[in-house]
Amino acid sequence: MTLKDVSVSEILRPEDGGSSPGLAEAAQIRYLSPDDTEFTLTEGHMLNVKAGGKEHVGVYVHCSFPHTNKRIYLSIRTVENEEIGMIRSLDEFPEETQRMLEEQVELRYFAPEISKVLSVKEEFGYSYWDAETTSGYCRFTVRGGGGSVKLMTASRLLIVDVDGNRFIIPHLDRLSDKEYKMVEVCM
Amino acid sequence: MDTLPKAIMNALAQHGVASESVLCWLLCDRALENGFRDTYVLLTREELLILSHDQAPAREKTYSGYAANTPLKGLSPEKEAHWELEALKIRDIESLSIVNLVASGMVVIKAPEERAVAAFTNGGMRSAARLAKIFEKLKKSEELGPEELRDDQERATCPKCGMIYPEEGRQVCPKCMKKHAVFGRLLSFAGKYKVSMFWIVLFMLLNSAAGLVIPYFQGTLLFDQALGGKGTFAGQIGLVIALIIVFRTLSLLFGVIFGVINAKMAANIAFDLKSSVFHAMQRLSLSFFEKKQTGQLMTRINNDATELQYFFVDGISYFVVNAMNIIGIVTVLLIMDWKLTLLCLLPLPFVFLLVRKVFPKLWRLSIRRHKRVSAMNAIISDTIRGTRVVKAFGMEQMENARFQRASGAFSDAEQSFNKMGVTLFPVLNILTQIGGILIWAFGGWKVMQGDFTFGKVMTFMNYMLLLYGPIQFMNNIMNWWSYCMSAAQRIFEIHDAVPDVVEKPNAMQLTEMQGEIRISNVTFGYEPNKAILKGVSLHARPGQMIGVVGHSGAGKSTLVNLIPRLYDVNEGEIRIDGIPIKDVSMASLRTHIGIVSQDVYVMSGSIAENIAYADPDCTLADLIHAAKVAGAHDFIEKLPDGYDTIVGTGGHNLSGGEKQRLSIARAILHNPKILILDEATASLDTKTELQIQEALDTLIKGRTTIAIAHRLSTLRNADYLVVLEQGKIVEEGTHEQLLVKEGAYYDLVKKHDEALKMNEVITA
Repeated sequence: MTLKDVSVSEILRPEDGGSSPGLAEAAQIRYLSPDDTEFTLTEGHMLNVKAGGKEHVGVYVHCSFPHTNKRIYLSIRTVENEEIGMIRSLDEFPEETQRMLEEQVELRYFAPEISKVLSVKEEFGYSYWDAETTSGYCRFTVRGGGGSVKLMTASRLLIVDVDGNRFIIPHLDRLSDKEYKMVEVCM
Repeated sequence: MDTLPKAIMNALAQHGVASESVLCWLLCDRALENGFRDTYVLLTREELLILSHDQAPAREKTYSGYAANTPLKGLSPEKEAHWELEALKIRDIESLSIVNLVASGMVVIKAPEERAVAAFTNGGMRSAARLAKIFEKLKKSEELGPEELRDDQERATCPKCGMIYPEEGRQVCPKCMKKHAVFGRLLSFAGKYKVSMFWIVLFMLLNSAAGLVIPYFQGTLLFDQALGGKGTFAGQIGLVIALIIVFRTLSLLFGVIFGVINAKMAANIAFDLKSSVFHAMQRLSLSFFEKKQTGQLMTRINNDATELQYFFVDGISYFVVNAMNIIGIVTVLLIMDWKLTLLCLLPLPFVFLLVRKVFPKLWRLSIRRHKRVSAMNAIISDTIRGTRVVKAFGMEQMENARFQRASGAFSDAEQSFNKMGVTLFPVLNILTQIGGILIWAFGGWKVMQGDFTFGKVMTFMNYMLLLYGPIQFMNNIMNWWSYCMSAAQRIFEIHDAVPDVVEKPNAMQLTEMQGEIRISNVTFGYEPNKAILKGVSLHARPGQMIGVVGHSGAGKSTLVNLIPRLYDVNEGEIRIDGIPIKDVSMASLRTHIGIVSQDVYVMSGSIAENIAYADPDCTLADLIHAAKVAGAHDFIEKLPDGYDTIVGTGGHNLSGGEKQRLSIARAILHNPKILILDEATASLDTKTELQIQEALDTLIKGRTTIAIAHRLSTLRNADYLVVLEQGKIVEEGTHEQLLVKEGAYYDLVKKHDEALKMNEVITA
């Protein structure tokens, strides 16, 4: 599954500079353009970026809209959480860079996507999940009582287990009736 | 520490590494690309070892909390992985850090280039933090203390079923929880109501015994003997009717008596339970209340107590009585005619089956209905409370549409629930009535053949009807029992919870305090790998005022919370008057410390009670003087009810500044040697702040003060300033010294001045 399939919202589309130039000026966000930005991946799997002639070592890619669209408004940040700049849309960049950044997004936002719910057993305030995911079969435990299973958009469900690990049901409406019934009890 | 898996031990041995030399290790269960692939990161005294294999990612994964002995599907590569060992000398590695990703972590080393070694899911965070810490100590050639090498913070597993306890620090396996033990403990709670319980059960038994004879009177006695003209009661209809009336009245009377005793006991037990839980809660540390899972625990307490109340009131007594009823009725029926009895019990299994199968569905539908109605109510409350926003942005139409959607969803859920309900219950009814029809059919046939009397059939019929209630009760009792025991368990947990911050057994009573504070090399964090304070040292001489400045999130409030020991430091020490605060009794420590913080909590009660909260026995004169010093006297006098004004929930609404002044008055009256001002004036406007500033200046005199402030003007009287940045002290000195330095403080002042100027422009 590519990242593009993940994005469920069609509303969020990057527009150049927004509709209010005054606001953009006030925000002073530095947008990285493909012309003067170069991303490289080191042998040690670290991402480096050279922007405006300055090299930054060990940077991370943060998504502004990790649930609705992972390809737009990416924030490139240092480990100290300082923003080096933003990327409006991955599409502006050459394919190789796109792939590199997509991998970094995957690394940071790793969350198996549930393709099939096998069973959800509720017992004593916890639900025990068994599911087929994009990363294989996963079994995990979710605390009951609300808050751990959240609808992020109309059909995208985020499930957080007892350790804070995240799982995603990307299309709630594509679950079978049986699966949906199991999931619904925990929502 | 958990033992290393055998395969890893073997791999180490193959590479000539003795597994005993491993100080700590971390299982990184995520591949850097995608999916799950195990990499082990191990630490010996000299080396960092990385064990990895190049097999395809595992196709299955069991996260913590799930029963550990669940059989795997066998999807992972079967053949033994070949482990590659990479050994790096610690002296060649500049640093090892754990980078927090979303719900994962990553081990990054610098040797000398930065390099991502492996990633792990969130469950490994604690081990990872420990690895990083031990690495740092090894790097600095520091000796490892026993507490570093001992790892008792690993998640424990249930010894019985192997399931990892689903909640950290809560060693309760919900599967293997000894329900009997909990039940026994619960009964001991009810111990002092033994007498009441005895009477309740006795009267309930009498009540049902009296009820049980009636079918016999109404059937055999009335029809066969009185009407049929045979036996002892032949022709004595009046007497039989009278007997029925007497027994009905008796049954009713016993019922009333048991109800009255029960009502009294129920209220008493509920009171006992709630007050004991409340009492147990009060002795716990602040962190207990702030932990996420316990927050949830708290909200459940009230429900749990109610649940247990039902358990005592309805559960135990009804269980005894219903069990007796079932045994009694079935015995009577079997004696009367065992064949007919078995025949009319025939539909029972179907009833059970239906209830088992369909009730969960109905339950699910009712949950759905409940959720939808909550969602709808949330929108209603949103729009009503946020009317101002809705109207200001002209969004009424959108809110209408939002409500329409939620309301429609609720209506759908309501319909499906009702449809199911109106189908299920009539079917159940018919099924239960089939037993009766069978009696009529076979009983009637037997009457025609002359084997049976009509009265006997009537008796049978009536007993049958009496049987269904208790059977239904028993059908639900197992679920309900589990539920009650879990509720009891949670309540006992609060009882048994050990406060994080514990007083030493022979803690010192600090009667006099000079107010010298020495914080040395303190490290503290609420969560592993997220140290809020790192190696902070500070010294305040008696009577000094220390200002703590820094950006929000720098750890200022955390620092001052450590002084009254609301939390215990992870490393380092805090001494007051040269005595470690861990050796001082908490009560005596806290009597000498006063806190005025940004969010003031006003208790329900009068203003006077609020000011005198810490010293309820103070004189009225002191109370008024304190209020005067705090600048609260004037506004209180203006109130129609003066110092008797009721504030707090449901009482008079005080403004932010007024509340703040009350809390200052509280601190003044408390008269502590150490005063902590945590953004005491941050939420107030400039004018009010100036007024309160005067009050604070009076308050500070003669005390050691540690003040945190956003507005630097608040700290103009400070003897000494420290600048905190990301948990570290980056600068310290007097205002003048720091200005000359042109460092972090200088920047803060400059920004602050700019902000002030902006303010002037705006207000001008």
